[in-house]
Amino acid sequence: MLDLIFCELLKLKRSKMIPISIIGVLSTPMLMLLEALQTHFDKPELAFTLADIYKNSVLYSMLLTNMMIYVAITAFLFSREYSENTLKIIIPIPVSRSKLLIGKFCALLLWIVALNFVTWVGIFMVCGLYHIVFTLEKYSFSVAIEWLPKYLLGGILMFLTISPFAFAAEKTKGFVAPVIGSAVIVMGSAALANHDWGAFYPWTAIFFLVQGKINSNGYITALSIIIVLLLSAAGFVLTFYHLNTEDLK
Amino acid sequence: MSSLLPDVTADFLAFHTLDPIINLLGERIKKIQKGIIVMKYIIETDHLTKRYGTNLVVNQVNFHVPKGKVYGLLGRNGAGKTTAMKMMLQLVFPTGGSIRLFGKDCRDNATVLYRNIGSIIETPGFYGNLTGEENLEILARLRGQFCKNAVPDALQIVGLNKEKRKIFSDYSLGMKQRLGIAAAIMHKPKLLILDEPINGLDPIGIWEIRTFLTKLTRDNGTTVFISSHVLSEIEQIADIIGVMHQGRLIEEVDMAELRNRNQKYTEFELSDGQLAVKIIKDHYRDTNYTIQENTLRVYGSNHLVGEMNRDFALNGLNVTKINPLEENLEEYFSKLIGGGGIA
Repeated sequence: MLDLIFCELLKLKRSKMIPISIIGVLSTPMLMLLEALQTHFDKPELAFTLADIYKNSVLYSMLLTNMMIYVAITAFLFSREYSENTLKIIIPIPVSRSKLLIGKFCALLLWIVALNFVTWVGIFMVCGLYHIVFTLEKYSFSVAIEWLPKYLLGGILMFLTISPFAFAAEKTKGFVAPVIGSAVIVMGSAALANHDWGAFYPWTAIFFLVQGKINSNGYITALSIIIVLLLSAAGFVLTFYHLNTEDLK
Repeated sequence: MSSLLPDVTADFLAFHTLDPIINLLGERIKKIQKGIIVMKYIIETDHLTKRYGTNLVVNQVNFHVPKGKVYGLLGRNGAGKTTAMKMMLQLVFPTGGSIRLFGKDCRDNATVLYRNIGSIIETPGFYGNLTGEENLEILARLRGQFCKNAVPDALQIVGLNKEKRKIFSDYSLGMKQRLGIAAAIMHKPKLLILDEPINGLDPIGIWEIRTFLTKLTRDNGTTVFISSHVLSEIEQIADIIGVMHQGRLIEEVDMAELRNRNQKYTEFELSDGQLAVKIIKDHYRDTNYTIQENTLRVYGSNHLVGEMNRDFALNGLNVTKINPLEENLEEYFSKLIGGGGIA
């Protein structure tokens, strides 16, 4: 299994998706910096801390920018074997189709968690720049480190809700369907982010879970977790079933 | 006597208690015998069938590929060659029939069986952002037999050792094909399944691959199952020919037998074909011939060529060309599938 994961990571060497995804997730820290600057100049009386910036950034990263990027990298990982015609050389090695998918999902999880870590580091760094110029209240590494587990948990939860896009990429053998799908779910997330019903929409539910908002909305946390797990399981089952029964024409 | 009876009964009973063991041994011996017979063939299919909806792509095909031989599979586009090969490699699931590899059902212990197989199906695909060396390293690691020398050795065999730092997306078609061959042979397989492996290669590359395959079978006893559109290539390397047409295997023949079967003939180019036919009919009644305009083909009468030439000349015919020939694989193939070339 380690070899499978190593191979999945080796396949990413020199891949343009690596710098593209890093630049993509750094858009969240940049948006936070812009927001901080706007607040500083428009409403100088408003005081905000590093913790406030991290809190707001979770919305951008989990519901908007990072989600779209993670769907794109999922589509890339799962469709490239078709677009580069490599399954015909890998399957007869032999490599179990299920193991191949497990390797891909492991690589995807590592990539998503790593990108969430990059976002977390990026926010700390841009806030550092802001702190040097304008002084940011309670700017310290200890505050930042408190938010790291939430970011890592957020990455894992986002990975769980992304499995249906792996199936879409595998089924359609390309980027288009998953990317359109991601646009649709992001629109849904934007609509439900400030709505209690968001607890029933898996992609907003994970945001509420990380923010600890569900109980305060009056819904049971377990219900949101079950919805997320059901969606995730459906995505995994469909992905594995499809590849294991597919004729590679 | 009566005192003996219980002993005999005891012996009888003891003998019969051995029955299940004897039966079991008999079964095992039968299985071993069957195994030995089956192992005669490295690939053996039994009514192998693939259907997509109403389209029967491979129809009850029975391949028999003996150990250490080169089996050339011929057929027009859409004959079912690639689908048959894909079924052998578990890329496509058969609708019916079975496949035995190395004497065993291909679904039993697939991991061990398939490690002894190297393959190329259509144009080989690799990761465009990686070098040839890195691509082969991935395959070696996935196979679980990563050996440091295997990759450079394979690259050297196919002549890509000087280009090992070039990324795959910058490869020419010929280089891609060579890397595919390197991937197929780097683990020293006992069986190679190659679908159109010389596509995109230049004449020198084709010669090199042909020589390499011949050497593999001769020195290592590797069995090769190869399909190609280039009939002359198959003719030069194959020991056995299989011909597929419209999903069916319509011929499976030893190359030596085929050469014997192929008719020798003499081709005359003459000034008047009809007059030549009259002369043949009058003087050489038992001779087989064909006529196409002024070209006359006389089959199996090479010893009479001089005599015929003299008779043609005496009857005022101008003979502009006499060519002793043998039916080649292309003509044989064309006859077999009812006309038309391979493409």
